[in-house]
Amino acid sequence: MTLIEKIKEKKLPAFIAKAILFLFLLIILDFTIGNTLRYLYFKQDSGLLYRTTYSLDSTKAELLIFGSSTANHHYNPSIFEKRLNTSVYNTGRDGNTIFYNYAVFQSVLKRYIPKVAILDFNVEEFKVYPDNYDRISSLLPYYQTHPELHSIIQLKSPYEKYKLLSKIYPYNSLIFTILVGNTDFNRTRDNINDDKGYVPLSHVWHRELTTQTAVSYQLDSNKINFLKSLIGESKSNGIRLYISISPRFIKYEGEDLSVEIVRKIANESNIPFFDFSKDTLFWKHNEYFADRSHLNNTGATIFSNMVIDKIIQNQQSTLINNKNNFSLKTRKK
Amino acid sequence: MYVKVEYVFIILFIIITNYLIGIQIEKANNNKKRRAFYLNLSLLINLGILIFFKYWNFLIGNLFDFLGLIHLKSAVSAPFLDIALPIGLSYYIFQTIGYIMDVYRGSIQAEKSISQFGLFTLFFPKLLVGPIERANRFLPQLKKNIYFDQENIIEGGKRIAWGLFKKLVVADRIAIYHTTVIVSADHQSGGTILLSCLLYTFQVYADFSGYTDIALGTARMFGFDLMENFKRPLLARNISDFWRRWHISLSSWVNDYIFNPLVLKRRDWGIWGVFYGLLVSFIVIGIWHGAAWNYVLFGLLQAIAIIYEATTKKARKRISKKISPVIYNNVSILLTFLFITFSLIIFQSSTFSEATNIIKGIFLNSGELYYDKPSTLLFMLIGCGVMMMVDIKVEYRISGYSLFSNKSWVIQQISYALLLIYILIAGVFDGGQFIYFAF
Repeated sequence: MTLIEKIKEKKLPAFIAKAILFLFLLIILDFTIGNTLRYLYFKQDSGLLYRTTYSLDSTKAELLIFGSSTANHHYNPSIFEKRLNTSVYNTGRDGNTIFYNYAVFQSVLKRYIPKVAILDFNVEEFKVYPDNYDRISSLLPYYQTHPELHSIIQLKSPYEKYKLLSKIYPYNSLIFTILVGNTDFNRTRDNINDDKGYVPLSHVWHRELTTQTAVSYQLDSNKINFLKSLIGESKSNGIRLYISISPRFIKYEGEDLSVEIVRKIANESNIPFFDFSKDTLFWKHNEYFADRSHLNNTGATIFSNMVIDKIIQNQQSTLINNKNNFSLKTRKK
Repeated sequence: MYVKVEYVFIILFIIITNYLIGIQIEKANNNKKRRAFYLNLSLLINLGILIFFKYWNFLIGNLFDFLGLIHLKSAVSAPFLDIALPIGLSYYIFQTIGYIMDVYRGSIQAEKSISQFGLFTLFFPKLLVGPIERANRFLPQLKKNIYFDQENIIEGGKRIAWGLFKKLVVADRIAIYHTTVIVSADHQSGGTILLSCLLYTFQVYADFSGYTDIALGTARMFGFDLMENFKRPLLARNISDFWRRWHISLSSWVNDYIFNPLVLKRRDWGIWGVFYGLLVSFIVIGIWHGAAWNYVLFGLLQAIAIIYEATTKKARKRISKKISPVIYNNVSILLTFLFITFSLIIFQSSTFSEATNIIKGIFLNSGELYYDKPSTLLFMLIGCGVMMMVDIKVEYRISGYSLFSNKSWVIQQISYALLLIYILIAGVFDGGQFIYFAF
């Protein structure tokens, strides 16, 4: 049967009508389910997703901590608040990089200017790693309401704005996390204080110290540029920025390329830079670690105090009357 | 695996030469020598191109290693080539060799239209990852008039939707977890590595059969019927059965053009001729996947398992009579699955030490089970569960209420709409590549 015969038999119009009906059904389902997910997403008052919303939309803390999992699990805001006598929020999120940090930083600047920021930097942070771009998806739920994030989200893929025509897409892979976030589960577990952002790790790493030799790799210029922008905007807004590298249970031989670059950028920009990646204290204590890349709560407590000591040292050696200086409390040894 | 504009000329060269050779073989009629000459010429061209692009560095590297071992290494460094493998090369080379062999055997006539022969080679749904189509199935379809058929569009669309589910919801979801675990296998617990390896079996199946579903669905929309490549392989009861269900277009190709001729040639060897045929066939299947020893070992393992099955057939039959069929069959499925999982550890490892590290890690590494987030585990289990439920339903012809083939048009449409919505909710949209693109 030819196409014309089919049209004459009214089979083709019926088929097209059915196809349109199916498409319409898809759009209705996408709209309804997508908006339900959106409602439930922003209704959460605890958990990982809530902490991102809080970082972008609510925190007014004077000191903000930026970074990935190493930031989130290593910097205990309560210790910082106690010793530096200021409000602190940890915006770190697992698996994210400078893209996420810069996005949060941008959203914060839209609302207020924090006094101090600590950026936790990772070894190999500037390495080209496609997964880092995939992780930008954690910002998709904020695409509609945060225009300042559009340029960062577009880095994920040039088709992102078309994908975002779907109402469900921003909440892709999040359904179970959103559902759990609407229960009491997050509020009742593991001493996580969502109002401070810090998530302590409890387990202890029982393996030997491993050695890793620095190797050459391809650098991601986007990441370097975002770091430079973050530094530039911190300076122009009068935010005192510190860059810090967390300890790991890995003995690095040679200088990592990313660390080398960030050290250079920090020096050139006159940004205090604390490198704990080669701190031998931590290499002697596996009990401070939850795994080879993350400190547990014991380690995080020690590390938080060490960072504060460095900040205090730095403040004492710089202008005493700087308006962004804290009223210092000396660490009890 | 790579796409370069220049590589179009390679495909064109393969099409033109094989088209002409096919006609020459037919023209040679009863002149056996001429027929053999053209067959060998075609094999030389096809295999020459394949070896040059895919196996050159492997062969040269091993040759120089061997010379080094016997202290004959010269001052000349190995002439490695820095060239990329043209995408889909292994698929269309095998397909073309199959066509020439069929013409040589007289089972099909040589194709007289170069455009139809070109389309047979280049038909886009199967170009990149197969199926390795047979000329006697596909060429006649190209000669038929194709008309709009709404059933083809609907059935093709359904097949594509199912393929997308397998690829985006099952394969790519597991891929994220599996890559994370295997990259850091030294630091993961045995339980974690084992879970990851078990899931990898589902990943490879979902990835490859998902692509095949998309290819078959697309072809169906255009009115073409490509050959099935999978028949629920994870429900196979032994390794021979597995290879009748897994990558059928390759295994049946190897069966027709390598195994059967070899066994026939060595028929005076008796059962040893069959074993010889199995070893050669499965080494070819292994090395078809790539130029590395792990693929050779992968193929060798399959051959050894099938030889073992052949030699213990009577004993296994005796055992099966003493055990309840339900238990026997399920244990057989489980053991087959575990063997395939073990083989895939070798398949996915780029070096022998990488494979042994993974295996050692399973038995020796202590620690907690890592599963990223509970939701990751849940997504993976739901995906695998749904995929296997569908396979089980088809395999055991379980009838009953069906959403996707419901008599009510409305229920059917809602079911497919919800399947697409679930893909949007649970699929991975970050451009994960098909595993078999690499071959």
